[in-house]
Amino acid sequence: MENNVSHALLFLEEEVQYICLTFMAIMYAIKIVTLLKKPVPPEKAELKGDRVAGAFESLLNILRPWSMESTRNNMYFYAEFMIFHIAVALTIGATFLIPLTPQIMTPPVTVIFMVFMALAFLIGLRRIHRRLTVPEIRIISSPDDYFAIILMTVFFATGFIALYFWLNKMPETAWMWVFFLMTTFFLLYVPFSKISHYILYPFGRVNFGRTFGGRGVTNKKAKDTNWNPTL
Amino acid sequence: MSEKAIKLGAEKERQWPTKTEFTPEMLAEMEKLLPSKLNRVVAASLAGCIHCGMCSDACHYSVSIPEDKTLVPAYKADRFRKWYKSRYDWLAKVFPSFVGAQPLTKELAEEMYDKLFGGCTMCRRCTLNCPMGVDYGMMVRAARSIMQQVGRVPQHLQDTVDTHYNAGNNMAVPQDEMIETIEWIEEELQDEDGCENFKIPVDKKGAKYFLTLNPREPKYYPLTIQATAKVLNAAGIDFTISSRYWDLTNYALFNGNDPDAKLFSMWQVEDVKRLGCEYLLAGECGHGYRALRWELPNWVGGVPFKITSVLELFAKLIRENRIKLDKSVWDGHRFTYHDSCNIARSGGIWEEPRTIIRAAANDFVEMEHHGPESFCCGGGGGALAMPEFTPRRIAAGKIKADEIRATGANVCLQSCHNCTDQLKEIIEHYHIDAKVMNLAELLAPALIL
Repeated sequence: MENNVSHALLFLEEEVQYICLTFMAIMYAIKIVTLLKKPVPPEKAELKGDRVAGAFESLLNILRPWSMESTRNNMYFYAEFMIFHIAVALTIGATFLIPLTPQIMTPPVTVIFMVFMALAFLIGLRRIHRRLTVPEIRIISSPDDYFAIILMTVFFATGFIALYFWLNKMPETAWMWVFFLMTTFFLLYVPFSKISHYILYPFGRVNFGRTFGGRGVTNKKAKDTNWNPTL
Repeated sequence: MSEKAIKLGAEKERQWPTKTEFTPEMLAEMEKLLPSKLNRVVAASLAGCIHCGMCSDACHYSVSIPEDKTLVPAYKADRFRKWYKSRYDWLAKVFPSFVGAQPLTKELAEEMYDKLFGGCTMCRRCTLNCPMGVDYGMMVRAARSIMQQVGRVPQHLQDTVDTHYNAGNNMAVPQDEMIETIEWIEEELQDEDGCENFKIPVDKKGAKYFLTLNPREPKYYPLTIQATAKVLNAAGIDFTISSRYWDLTNYALFNGNDPDAKLFSMWQVEDVKRLGCEYLLAGECGHGYRALRWELPNWVGGVPFKITSVLELFAKLIRENRIKLDKSVWDGHRFTYHDSCNIARSGGIWEEPRTIIRAAANDFVEMEHHGPESFCCGGGGGALAMPEFTPRRIAAGKIKADEIRATGANVCLQSCHNCTDQLKEIIEHYHIDAKVMNLAELLAPALIL
């Protein structure tokens, strides 16, 4: 596949994206440094488990739905979550692949991307519905929560249609313009939105893993056998 | 005991000034205090919630009282998070309502008080079920700490801490009364068959284990001390009880006052060092175990001795055949076990109680949720010291009551005095035909001496 587009669209796909990406990276760096500057609660107690192993296990929690009751009892919800986030990665990936290595975006690859985008779009609709109709979710939802999920759902729909035309050898369409304009907006907006939760995810999971891993609550296999009171 | 009773606790008595509502001055003071409470765990927990709602099925409040959606953990934590966002969220500087930020007002502060003192036991079950790893326990304690500093804290909870501060234990048991109680329990123990030579040493220097107690034991449940001492004697364990800082509770864990938590810990550390014991041994108490085992070393900057629990010790005694048990004494009884949140989920002990129970009883049935996933009984987080929230506490115990009932057990075992009181209340309230016992009381009658 070739990305035969106008200079203007190419400018949007490349230079504009790089500038916005740099902005996003700076904002994220500030966020990360701000959190890293916060003092870490001390752990002077004699440990019963491995804090490092606990942190790693906790980070990989996302791939072990059976480890948490909340996901174990909601496997359908978890499957939706996985598909949605894979679609996020693929959709963002498409914004890099299309201008930089269009030859990778072959018809079979493009179809895979489109399938995930379509599923994520449907999941997005379901999540919007859930946020609006489930009382305990509605009561905790802020406008940012609604905006974020609506934005992502629209992004998937736009990406799907743009790729449909790409598949039909029409790389420059209004949909492709909208797709990349939305990408630009995302790069500028996401650091300020709840969508940036993936930057906070490692902090939360590592904190959790270090605490509960060190106490031998999680990562039982890595339990430090040195903790063995003598009689 | 010839030693003259000494004044325990702080030299100068105090009564923390509590307030019945927030004033503008208190809110201003809270604004100043907030940055000091934002360590990395608390800050990441405040920033990290994505409002996915996965915590709603994890909380005993929201599960037991489904009609009140404001008891969902994310909602409760948002009372604090809204304030945090108004101070630290970038987008909130421009569009506060858009991200759910709200400046600290009297109304928001009162909601925080209601939900974070009266609607959360800091049991961390939601933490265990949070995909983002949000530590609600730490976050709620930080919020409580700020409110307590300005005087907005449940009166009875603060009284409990003040009593500990003034008297060296949270029920103001005088030293001479404590010694007399122990001597009386020792006599009672020696009256039991095969226990003639059993001792409950007080202030024995060089003893291996420094046994700590919950003040409810000398005050209301002396038979628990007797049962524990019987097991330790039967196994030949070298232990002592201090006449001074024997109270393992630390309610400053619940009101969030770090200087008090540190002070109570220091007293105990100095007392262990005074007697030259190798182990600080936590009696059967949920938050007491956590406060000693996991928080005390951090509050005082490390300790020169080891800290363990009677549950770990009892289990080890059983595994190493140091005590022999006759299970038949409990025939006709069906047991279940309630895991205290601070012992299991925040403490890593849930296999040991089961080792103990299976060695002492034939009929043991697990509740649907057990071990680290056990539901809080509703008595944690200092809830029993907040009578203004009693109706909600009893209502929140419904899920636990239902799970106890489902086992068909006529004895609910546990290892925590707050759990004891709450379980007794909910068992009565929800009309369950069961009694509540701790593990020493299970072991003691089954001992083969």
